[in-house]
Amino acid sequence: MSKHEPILLKNMNQPGYAGTLAEYEKTGGYQALKKILGKVAPADVTQLVIKSGLRGRGGAGFPTGVKWGFLPKDYQGPRYLCCNADESEPGTFKDRQLIERDPHQMLEGMVLACYAIGAETAYIYIRGEFVLGARILEEAIAEARRAGYIGKNIQGSGVTVDVWVHRGAGAYICGEETALLESLEGKRGLPRVKPPFPATHGLYNKPTVVNNVETLANLPHIINRGSEWFAAIGSPPKSTGTRIFCVSGHVKRPGNYEVPMGITFRELIYEHAGGMRSDKALKAFIPGGASAPFLTPDHLDVKMDFESVAAAGSMLGSGGVTVMEEGTSMVWAALRLMEFFYHESCGKCSPCREGSAWLVQTMRRIVAKRGRAQDLETLMDLCKNIAGRTVCAFGDAEVAPIMSTLKHWRPEYIALIHEAEASNLLRPQPAGAKG
Amino acid sequence: MLKEKYKQEIDDILSRYPVKRSALIPLLYLAQRETGYINETSMIEIAGILKLTPPQVYETATFYTMLNLKQVGKFHIQVCKSLMCALVGSDTLIGWIKTKLGIGPGETTPDGAFTLSTVECLAACGTGPMMQINDDYYERLTEDKLDRILSDLKSTGSSTLKTGPFMWPEPLASKGEAPVR
Amino acid sequence: MTAPAPNTVRLTIDGIEITVPKGTLVIEAARRVGVMIPHFCYHPKLKPDANCRMCLVEIEKMPKLQTSCSTVATDGMSVRTATTVVNDAHKSVLEFILANHPLDCPVCDQGGKCDLQDFSHEYTATGSRFIETKRIFQKEYFSPLIETQMNRCVQCLRCVRYCDEVMDVKALAPAGRGTMTEIKAFGSHPLDCEFCGGCVQICPVGAITSRLSMYEYRPWMLKRADTICQYCGDGCQITMQTKNNELIEVNSSYGAGRNNGDLCARGFFGFQATSHPDRLTKPLVRRNGILVETTWAEALEYTAQQLARLKSTHGAEAFGGLISSRCTNEDLYVFQKFMRLVIGTNNLDSSARYGHINSTQAMRRVQGTHRWTVTFEDIVDADVLLLVGTSITETNPVAGLRVKEAVKKQQARLFTIEATQPGIDSISNITNLAEQHVGVPTAQFGDALLGLLKGIVDGRHVEHSDQSRSNYISAVTDALGKLNWTDIEAATGTSRDVFLEIAAHIAKGRRVVVLAGQDLLRSTGGHAGCLNLLDLLLLTGKLAEPGCGLGPLAEENNDQGAVEMGAVAELIPGALDIADAGARAALARAWKGELPQTAGATLKDMIDKARSGQLKAMMVVGENPVASLPSHMNVAEAFRSLELLICQELFLTETAALAHVVFPAAAPLEKSGTWTNEEGHVQVVRPAIEPAGESRPDWEILSALSLLLGVPWEYGESKDVLKEIRSVIPGYGLLGPSPIPPKVDPATVERYVAGGYRHDLGNRYTLAPRRPPAEGTAWYIRLTQSLFHSGKLSTRAKGLLQLEEHAVLRMNRAEADRMGIADGDRVRVSNQRGDLTTTVKLVERVPPGTVWFPDHFAQKASALFDCTVDPVTKVPAFRIASVSIVKAG
Ligand SMILES: Cc1cc2nc3c(=O)[nH]c(=O)nc-3n(C[C@H](O)[C@H](O)[C@H](O)COP(=O)(O)O)c2cc1C
Ligand code: SF4
Ligand code: FES
Repeated sequence: MSKHEPILLKNMNQPGYAGTLAEYEKTGGYQALKKILGKVAPADVTQLVIKSGLRGRGGAGFPTGVKWGFLPKDYQGPRYLCCNADESEPGTFKDRQLIERDPHQMLEGMVLACYAIGAETAYIYIRGEFVLGARILEEAIAEARRAGYIGKNIQGSGVTVDVWVHRGAGAYICGEETALLESLEGKRGLPRVKPPFPATHGLYNKPTVVNNVETLANLPHIINRGSEWFAAIGSPPKSTGTRIFCVSGHVKRPGNYEVPMGITFRELIYEHAGGMRSDKALKAFIPGGASAPFLTPDHLDVKMDFESVAAAGSMLGSGGVTVMEEGTSMVWAALRLMEFFYHESCGKCSPCREGSAWLVQTMRRIVAKRGRAQDLETLMDLCKNIAGRTVCAFGDAEVAPIMSTLKHWRPEYIALIHEAEASNLLRPQPAGAKG
Repeated sequence: MLKEKYKQEIDDILSRYPVKRSALIPLLYLAQRETGYINETSMIEIAGILKLTPPQVYETATFYTMLNLKQVGKFHIQVCKSLMCALVGSDTLIGWIKTKLGIGPGETTPDGAFTLSTVECLAACGTGPMMQINDDYYERLTEDKLDRILSDLKSTGSSTLKTGPFMWPEPLASKGEAPVR
Repeated sequence: MTAPAPNTVRLTIDGIEITVPKGTLVIEAARRVGVMIPHFCYHPKLKPDANCRMCLVEIEKMPKLQTSCSTVATDGMSVRTATTVVNDAHKSVLEFILANHPLDCPVCDQGGKCDLQDFSHEYTATGSRFIETKRIFQKEYFSPLIETQMNRCVQCLRCVRYCDEVMDVKALAPAGRGTMTEIKAFGSHPLDCEFCGGCVQICPVGAITSRLSMYEYRPWMLKRADTICQYCGDGCQITMQTKNNELIEVNSSYGAGRNNGDLCARGFFGFQATSHPDRLTKPLVRRNGILVETTWAEALEYTAQQLARLKSTHGAEAFGGLISSRCTNEDLYVFQKFMRLVIGTNNLDSSARYGHINSTQAMRRVQGTHRWTVTFEDIVDADVLLLVGTSITETNPVAGLRVKEAVKKQQARLFTIEATQPGIDSISNITNLAEQHVGVPTAQFGDALLGLLKGIVDGRHVEHSDQSRSNYISAVTDALGKLNWTDIEAATGTSRDVFLEIAAHIAKGRRVVVLAGQDLLRSTGGHAGCLNLLDLLLLTGKLAEPGCGLGPLAEENNDQGAVEMGAVAELIPGALDIADAGARAALARAWKGELPQTAGATLKDMIDKARSGQLKAMMVVGENPVASLPSHMNVAEAFRSLELLICQELFLTETAALAHVVFPAAAPLEKSGTWTNEEGHVQVVRPAIEPAGESRPDWEILSALSLLLGVPWEYGESKDVLKEIRSVIPGYGLLGPSPIPPKVDPATVERYVAGGYRHDLGNRYTLAPRRPPAEGTAWYIRLTQSLFHSGKLSTRAKGLLQLEEHAVLRMNRAEADRMGIADGDRVRVSNQRGDLTTTVKLVERVPPGTVWFPDHFAQKASALFDCTVDPVTKVPAFRIASVSIVKAG
């Protein structure tokens, strides 16, 4: 197992570490903030982050420093930072741990980010179900305020940063950054048409940066130990640093594992997560959350960095790795995810809104052994017609499970349909049927 | 009237945002805490506080699954049925609940104590099967763990089996290797 | 190729090159080269939402297809709208949209004018692959006049966005999520809004339709007539659709008329007043005390004899005439010509006297025009807008939309002096959009304006450069110096800082438009108020600046025309002074006959003279003073003492019921002619249906009489009248699709600043006397305009009655709570003159201490009101009274 020192999980790995301010300070917490605020020019902080090669951990993997750079330099008036703590991508549960076990780590990251982009107000948009997480953050923020790490004139630097927790209320789409902003404005969480991008027209139409919890949590360490140090971890130049991978499904030891980017799926699944839970072999795995196309055992040696996984026809996405053993129906698995996407489509775009309803019904029929020969072609067409034709990336995400399972396990679909056709002779046809 | 009862809290919420409407979801939560669900009276009052029309409040309230527009049971059991939990037995969990409480998804026990809902991923995929009851998570559920939780709730109204600050696997040093299922 | 002009970009669409202004959307650029890109959610009035995804196109150097409705054209862009990729995309999006559509076209009112039908026909004539179960919404009752069929909805949200972005009403809510998203009002409550019909008009499919015309027609059965709305002075163009001489439905297409396709409830749902069963269809004459039907011949003969008899016995000065400003210019012109030439008196007046004339006279005096020097377009382009006593949403809703557009889309600064207060109600409230709002009772409008003028002076915003004005300026400065802020603050309840701030913005503004509405014009001091507003523009040097000016808003659709046709005692056609000998002579020449010289009596005088017996006969055309004026003025008694009362009417009104002869008049939707809207834009009125029964246009009735009285006129049709109007007012109504406003007349301004201001400056620059309300009457009751009615006519419109069937007293919610009065309770309103018991409706916008009663049902309340007459313009003001209010058991 690759020897490496965890960065983000380091503190909480210490037995008894409860993430209080005192404990966090003991482990060198808020040093980065003291080092930077009022001492290093904001633009230089951004440069540091660009040099570190840090890329977004929320799913899109966009270079963080570069994103900050898009904010208008000369703009007078408020700018905002939004911490994306909506963590709703099925298979992902890392932010929850970062929030509940070491809240000050991300808070320090937020203050640093605010300083770099010149924001005086930051909101943490946390999914509504994380009631405990929200409470823990509120308390941590109160602590940090009292200690002068948050609020007016932080540590006498003259810098002001206020942080507020804003709870979502149950909508996966609010993880999408512009839907998040709409939701934060008290509206329905419908993604916005881009351009304009949040960098220029974000929260309340002001320049805004949206960053994931894990992304922000990395910042104090980059500041403390330098961009070079960070840029050397993982598989430089494109995928630097560690990732917290969330392993779920049929493994011995599911859970969060922080490893340098670039190790193989095999190592993560068989060494860190302890391998398959039973003697059943691995049949399939999802490498980066529900939105990522399924991969097969042939892909176990793919390196876990943005490029390699993309090359393998999927994506590292949110870092949620879901393992499925032999005997799991891929059609059923795809349906389960399709049910999710159908439930979560915000309904703005016709293809996504109508398509998700259409796909889920067809999939249900097939799984219920009421499929028809022409269904597979229809499924494929519909998926193609949704992907790339919608306002947000949800459209691309929702078709991934069906398209990838159709690609790798088509025979399972066909088998179900054959059974169906056999039994169709005995079953009346559904309304409007043509076949 | 929320305004009288929670004046302090409402002012505090409003003070966080430069634009009033941002306080909408927080205030809807407040109303839900007060009456167990969000009724028209509170939507109208909130509209008044935020200078919105009632339809503007309504359109937001209906978008989010955690905002109940109907009364739910004292304990709202929400079982995650997404793939990751399904892989490790969430359907079985739903079966257990049906046999123990006699309610299926969307149903409420006659005494109004329990409502069962199935929900999508709650970010506990590594510790499934799991459920959320009101504010608390319950993870790595087994049948007898479920029994204990339900009886706790019936007797004391809360259960110590709920998850605390989340970490999985737990710190290696402390408990040795994360227990194998 | 040469570089494109600045602020333009050049792109190619399907190979066709075109240059468009910067910021143009690709879908619009395509439209210009004649390429129609299919779309549902896009509408030029709305911010792009790009939700339907129908308008996808290929753009060179862009990996994905782009939505042309949200993509801004850039220089050198190359767009393809008809490649196989694009066509397949259109097909597939349409397939998605149709998946859940019920395809119930045979029973859908939109059938035949439906975008979904048209695009389907264009792209997928084939059957659908969708074999799953369709989404079904529970059918729910939606609202009185508007029907929804949500299964047909394509979720483009055009209705919701229109209701918010254009109307600022926000009454529609997309409820739920994903495929189950459904357009609703508030929960299961029926829609409660302005009922502008915008959602019906903007819905691309049959999801939202009008109940007035439900299942009545197929589009291709309809005959269309483009005409003008008969209600307010905004003068909206409507297309009246009829099926074999039956009024079916109104609409107004994007780009049409001064309203650009927008309408209000009156325009959209108010057309049925015309087809009301009570319409008069035959002439009536009084025989042994009762009115009986008769023939035209007999009625005309009888009337002519009587007129001739009374004229020979009592002379022309024993006659008076009143005409409604809802009549066409042709009617008004012929009417005043009849009174002046055939009868020989200037005793004539029109409903412009109720207030509009206050503004036209002020403009004539200060700037030498009787018309706006600005247009609706200038409202939209303004950077500073000042509204004074407009109640614009209720009185001039579509002019109000231009104000909303200026503020919401163009970031104009809005300042309001209104008898309304901010607050959210089911209809929009312009003061919510104001940067600063001065809320005062109508009686204090003048004081607020003085505060503003003092702000201009004290803030050193007076434009001094022109020496010739120094006397005028110092006179005004002195007058204002005599006023102290404390009194102004006491009178207006507004701090000086607010006035100073507004003054500063007005002075800074480059395009300042001031709108004065009926609440000001119809109140005591309405005339002085207009003059002072003109002083405001004069002092700040804005008066003659392009894009700046005063715009008085008219309550009745042709108030402006009435003034321009000379249908008032003191003015002759062209709004020229009757006292102006030259003008009189010119008209006499055109008429080949002399005009009376003696100054004529106006509305109130005529009623007094009728009562005192000095008037023996009156011609009343479409006016109903018995119901309009306070009951203690005893108009009925006055009319009863006349020897001859002739009415031309649509209905047997309170006034017509007293007449000796009633001629059935044709309604606006039944006749041709022209109307002049408040901007001074002359618009063509076209008949949509045949006149009811034997009713005839008013001008025709009058010229028939004049023939019998030995003065034959060759008017074959209304066009002939217009021709004559143009001969006396050169070029009248020969303007294009939008008005070309007159310029301020420098000579007049010179005369004004040289001393014309002097005689009344003192009076105009003193605060209104603040007499404490009479014993125990702590409240003010106001007669106000309702959005759902206009005059009394609309109270015969079936649709509008469904929205507001009878009078309710509007009252401030908070205050009512304190008094333990709830929505729908009955209260007794009284003062020393009379009393009234009625139902209350609680709203946010009514300021505490005031209650509002709708003018249109004023008969009930008219006992409460007193009437004062403006010494200069003779405008009767009677819309406010102090009363006491108690909850009625
Ligand atoms: C449908 C959808 C759901 C998303 N959900 C999340 C989420 O739950 N958490 C998150 O951090 N990012 C999520 N994202 C990515 C965000 O849009 C955004 O890229 C990210 O928060 C940017 O932060 P980062 O640059 O630090 O990754 C989602 C994106 C899409 C299209
Ligand atoms: S793609 Fe789906 S989720 Fe994204 S905006 Fe469109 S409808 Fe909403
Ligand atoms: S018209 Fe462009 S997406 Fe609807």
